Amino acid sequence: MSSDSDFTTEPKEYQHDDDGGPQPEKHCGHGRGGMGEEVARKEDKRFITGRGNYVDDIKKPGMLHCEIVRSPHAHARVENIDGSRAMDLDGVVAVLTADDLLEHDLATMPTLMDDTQDVLVNEKVKFQSQEVAAVIAEDRYTAKDGAEKVKVDYEVLDPVVDAAEALEDDAPLIREELDDQEDNHIFDWDTGDKEATEEAFAEADVTVTEQMEYQRLHPAPIETCGAVADWDPGNDKMTVHMTSQAPHAHRTLFSQVSGIPEHKVRIVSPDVGGGFGNKVPIYPGYVVAAAASYVLERPVKWIEERSENIQTTGFARDYDMTGEIAATEDGVIQGVKVDVLANHGAYNAAAQPSKFPAGFFNIFTGSYDIEAAYGSLTGVFTNTAPGGVAYRCSFRVTEAVYLIERMVKVLADELGVDPAEIRRRNFIPSDAFPYESATGWNYDSGDYEKALDKALEMADYESYREEQKRRIEEDADKLLGIGISSFTEIVGAGPGKQCDIAGIEMFDSADLRVNPTGNAVLRVGVQTQGQGHETTFAQIVAEELGMDVDNIVVEHGDTDTEPYGLGTYGSRSTPVAGAAAAVAARKVRDKAKSIAANELEAAEEDIQWDRQSGEFHVAGAPDRSITITEIAAGAYMNHPGSEEPGLEATNYYDPPEMTYPFGSYIVVVEVDRETGEVDFEKFVAVDDCGNRINPMIIEGQIHGGLAQGIGTAMLEHVTYDDNGNVTGGDFMNYLLPTANEIPNFETGHTVTPSPHHPIGAKGVGESPTVGSPPAIVNAVVDAMSHAGVTHVEMPMTPDRVWESLNEAGLALDPSQNVSFDFEGGQSEGPADD
Amino acid sequence: MEFDGEFELDGVPPEKAWIVLSDPMAVRDSLKGCQYITPMDDDFNFDEYEAEEDVEMLPEADPEVVADRAFVAGQKYAALMQVGVGSVKPRFETTVTIDERDDEEFEMIASGGGDASGSSFSMNSGMKIHELEDGEGSRIEWWTEADISGRIAQLGSRVINPVSNKIVNNFFGSIEQQMTDVDEETNTGVTDRLRNML
Repeated sequence: MSSDSDFTTEPKEYQHDDDGGPQPEKHCGHGRGGMGEEVARKEDKRFITGRGNYVDDIKKPGMLHCEIVRSPHAHARVENIDGSRAMDLDGVVAVLTADDLLEHDLATMPTLMDDTQDVLVNEKVKFQSQEVAAVIAEDRYTAKDGAEKVKVDYEVLDPVVDAAEALEDDAPLIREELDDQEDNHIFDWDTGDKEATEEAFAEADVTVTEQMEYQRLHPAPIETCGAVADWDPGNDKMTVHMTSQAPHAHRTLFSQVSGIPEHKVRIVSPDVGGGFGNKVPIYPGYVVAAAASYVLERPVKWIEERSENIQTTGFARDYDMTGEIAATEDGVIQGVKVDVLANHGAYNAAAQPSKFPAGFFNIFTGSYDIEAAYGSLTGVFTNTAPGGVAYRCSFRVTEAVYLIERMVKVLADELGVDPAEIRRRNFIPSDAFPYESATGWNYDSGDYEKALDKALEMADYESYREEQKRRIEEDADKLLGIGISSFTEIVGAGPGKQCDIAGIEMFDSADLRVNPTGNAVLRVGVQTQGQGHETTFAQIVAEELGMDVDNIVVEHGDTDTEPYGLGTYGSRSTPVAGAAAAVAARKVRDKAKSIAANELEAAEEDIQWDRQSGEFHVAGAPDRSITITEIAAGAYMNHPGSEEPGLEATNYYDPPEMTYPFGSYIVVVEVDRETGEVDFEKFVAVDDCGNRINPMIIEGQIHGGLAQGIGTAMLEHVTYDDNGNVTGGDFMNYLLPTANEIPNFETGHTVTPSPHHPIGAKGVGESPTVGSPPAIVNAVVDAMSHAGVTHVEMPMTPDRVWESLNEAGLALDPSQNVSFDFEGGQSEGPADD
Repeated sequence: MEFDGEFELDGVPPEKAWIVLSDPMAVRDSLKGCQYITPMDDDFNFDEYEAEEDVEMLPEADPEVVADRAFVAGQKYAALMQVGVGSVKPRFETTVTIDERDDEEFEMIASGGGDASGSSFSMNSGMKIHELEDGEGSRIEWWTEADISGRIAQLGSRVINPVSNKIVNNFFGSIEQQMTDVDEETNTGVTDRLRNML
């Protein structure tokens, strides 16, 4: 978005409730499973009893299996594809290549950033493991054997995998098929006021600079991507069960790519084993399965292997950032600058709203009241898999938060000011909301100091600072580091005038139908990959209708029955679809009033609804009351003449603004000066996601996100060698955190409701992934900052930490650390802490 | 990736070492996982070719047969190799061209490449046999530059290097044994005849 954003918050009908809306912190627990109650997750019964239904569980009569033949080269011209040896195998039904797809106009597909990606390589391979051909067979093993028999001749070309090298004059041109594309440069983007920022820097007492790489990550959901496509020639209808975070958007895209009219396309996203942004884009495998089903008129299943998932489907991050801060000598920040080199891979396939080529990266002023800000970014093609998905975050917020939270620590160290104190000096004051940032975002609400104070108290901050000092003074073997991150997220994309995916505005929807017997079905346009929607959305309806949560079932993921929605990612489900659910419930409640009036023989304007009891009663006569169950019966059996029968409502919710969850995380680490190993001593996470729907689910979300934040900071990296081979493309080399690496988390919360959201909620699933990496890096740097260390790159493997220790003169020589007790014949290190 | 090394054979003169290293069958037997090495033309089919069995090897083999099958400069050879690296065991269909052969300097240069499911490589290799200073032994110097792509390359050098080292060590161990056999059991007449034929 531009800095001259002019959108305003227009109150919408039903957005604000007569009674002030739910206030779970004040009076949670009216016992019906509404807002603020720790309702056990409805979906868990089927998950923990093995009755989930994932794409790979789907078996259809006559179903074939698809295996993709992938290029071993990162950059190569395909000279010939010979599938004859595969066809010789018993059970192989077809070998598909780009030529076959060309016949059906399916050889390419659009990416979410309006680039065009080969479904199967037409002329040139642009990244290793790119899809070259597909083998369709009667069973999965035969398909795999067949894929090994497909002979592809390549002319191997020099690859370039590094974004900076890709911009050099002599770099190989990756995308020569694009008109006017003479180099590997994709786009330049900038934000903020350059002149004002330069001025702030010129006048500042202090400036600091730090270069940092947010390494390439993969969301690595436990379930890989897959699809079962089933073309029904009798009805000219294509049904695709697929691992989709956005079934409706995928239906529209499928229709556009295939030419099958949209009402003849059905996308079903059944149970999905984690998405984290990985299942937002469309991948060639889905299209190949659908094309094969169309051609062969049989169902076709395609399921990725783990390494295929990591190596070819949407990666995240890969931003090389240089940050600068200008400040007064007291540490008041006057300006912030950032320049980014963004590796987008072989296609521009980032998953983000169309008008935001760098996502919401321009939230990089963070939680701070900074007058001048300027950011610039260059997107680059390389011979690596395409991506740029929002891995458990809202479109590049993770990179932005990392940048500003690291830079604040760099500034604090430069000035010798406590990192907690420097944050306090710069926070947007709690009375300044709604707040417009220097890059044009309208923050809805926040109380950053309160969250920080709570985290400092929970972490026993001051005593760790003393312990840290003691260890330095005593030259201890293990140094202590304390890291803080006071992050602000931007989620809930988004207002239709700003946000669209492939042209479709990013509203979301809910359709609530109350049955004659008083229970209800809520259908939502978002889909769940484990977030607990079937519980939390039912709680919203329970809260707003006075219904028991057990009487509400939530359906999602089937485009034939659900209202159109844009899907689940960017923490948008609660801010957008959750709002739609609340509004739909309030609409039903309004109609219920008229039925109640009929049943209670009172005037409609005299009917009041009581949030605490959940009942409708005549004003001034609380005894003359009626429950929603009784009203439901009335709607079908005794409906007032003034109303249609039935009791249902639909809402398509276009959010007036984003929501801005925030929090403060404090991490205490021990750094071993001998080995560079990092141990977590304490991990405190205080989150504020506005009004809380289900505290237990929130805590689960926080725990999961913190684990992923630890993976990011300590372990994970998709690496490439110079030939473009992925050397971090499987779980042997791409290290996910396990229970061994995860410390005990202490979680806390503050509540600052969103003023524009119908139930005051903001969204929470991604805060911990966004907020924790800078806290962890700040902690490790903090352990060494007294010796001049200003940065350690992620993942902070022991060798990297040891390099920093060594350069700062802090590393202990192990040979000097071993003393021999000749009499006892034992060797041991000197006793220390 | 680059690999190189050298090894010494005491008591085996360069002429004899050259004979063994010129015999595709000796090389095949020394390369772990190698199912065959055979001259190929454009119509060669890796699936249909059946490796010869019960081939006579030096020192028992008829010198004329051995001379007949020796590597020829300019000739293209097909080799089928199955190598287990980490969790994958690709079957490489490999073609190698002998680019240069110098019978006087005992020097040979070859290039080629291979494909297996999801993996591929190309390489340039060379070897040269030097006479040891005592005049009775050989020092064999070898080098390979290989570009590796795909699944095997993804495993990284920490997995590839031990495997390649093992193959190379086995190779030279076996070659050394064969040379020693040739040296000990072959009368000078046979090697001289062979040498002349080569």
